[in-house]
Amino acid sequence: MGALCLFFSTIEYLFPKPFPFFRLGLANLPILVMLPVVRPGYILLLVLLKVLGQGLINGTLASYVFLFSAAGSFSSAAVMLASQRIFGRHISLIGVSIFGAIASNAVQLFLSVTFIFGKTAWVIAPLFFTLGVVSGVAVGVFAQRFYDRSRWMSGIREYYG
Amino acid sequence: MVKETPFSRNFNALHLFLTGGIIIPAYLFQTNLSVRVAQVLLFAALSVVAGKRIKWTYFIIMVLSITFFNLVTPLGQVLVTVGPFTITSGALGNGLMKGFTIVGLVFISLFSIRPDLKLPGRLGGMIGRVFYYFERVIEGKKKVQARRLIASMDEILMELYAPGTTQEAVASESRRTTAAGYVAGALLVLGNWALLLV
Repeated sequence: MGALCLFFSTIEYLFPKPFPFFRLGLANLPILVMLPVVRPGYILLLVLLKVLGQGLINGTLASYVFLFSAAGSFSSAAVMLASQRIFGRHISLIGVSIFGAIASNAVQLFLSVTFIFGKTAWVIAPLFFTLGVVSGVAVGVFAQRFYDRSRWMSGIREYYG
Repeated sequence: MVKETPFSRNFNALHLFLTGGIIIPAYLFQTNLSVRVAQVLLFAALSVVAGKRIKWTYFIIMVLSITFFNLVTPLGQVLVTVGPFTITSGALGNGLMKGFTIVGLVFISLFSIRPDLKLPGRLGGMIGRVFYYFERVIEGKKKVQARRLIASMDEILMELYAPGTTQEAVASESRRTTAAGYVAGALLVLGNWALLLV
């Protein structure tokens, strides 16, 4: 699954970006589909492998990009795990994905305001969150489809279930 | 996995990582804006030599946006006034310095970190396994079809790792630093530290 995260992060480069800082978050897809299947510890390990793998492949391990990515990914995973626990079967992967995207964007915005741009950068918050919700819905829709229709995913669910 | 570049041919991944690590303090201690800009250009060139694709627009927008947000708080002598907006020398200098510092750190990271850098312990072993499977997923990338996305992804995944099967053992090779690599590394480190005297 860690390798899949890296695969999706390379696929993401194929999509045109409306803004330079915008990311669709496709690399979170494997994390999202594994949420209902495995223990929280496994999810956090998967997030760690994803951020370290991306840092090594892209060469950003020793830069602010890695810190932003790690903070965003871990906060997103924590919120997705919490929403999955709180709402149980009453929430779809689309809802979980939206919660995760908002958490990741909130943390990354906080870090960029604190360490890079300064307080005035809060003006970009509405645009940033709107894009986050849009990408959260897009990734969530695909994740839900993959979870429901994939034969491989069905095997994984049986194996871990 | 590792691209053939002058860096990969002449540097061990750990040695290259350490070279970048030793350069970072010299870069951060630098207070002269012109020297810092020169360093950033050098690191960008090294990243290109290291085979990294640089998105120039991203980095230019990064520097400009950081500078812009710094200009909002006036500091020092007024340079230009455009309507309600005042550009001051202190705010402009601080903004550019901050913008180039951040971008330069990314470039150092880009040229000094390679996928074959071994992280210690069990985690390092897991990362090695992730890269092994990533390579195999990439090999199957051509088979992903947009029209039958989930089905084609299923085929690749079933071929790589059918649920419940045992994972394959992973072996990896380590490259050595050549004499030319040691010389280039020493020059880079000494050069950047010597720039503090400028």
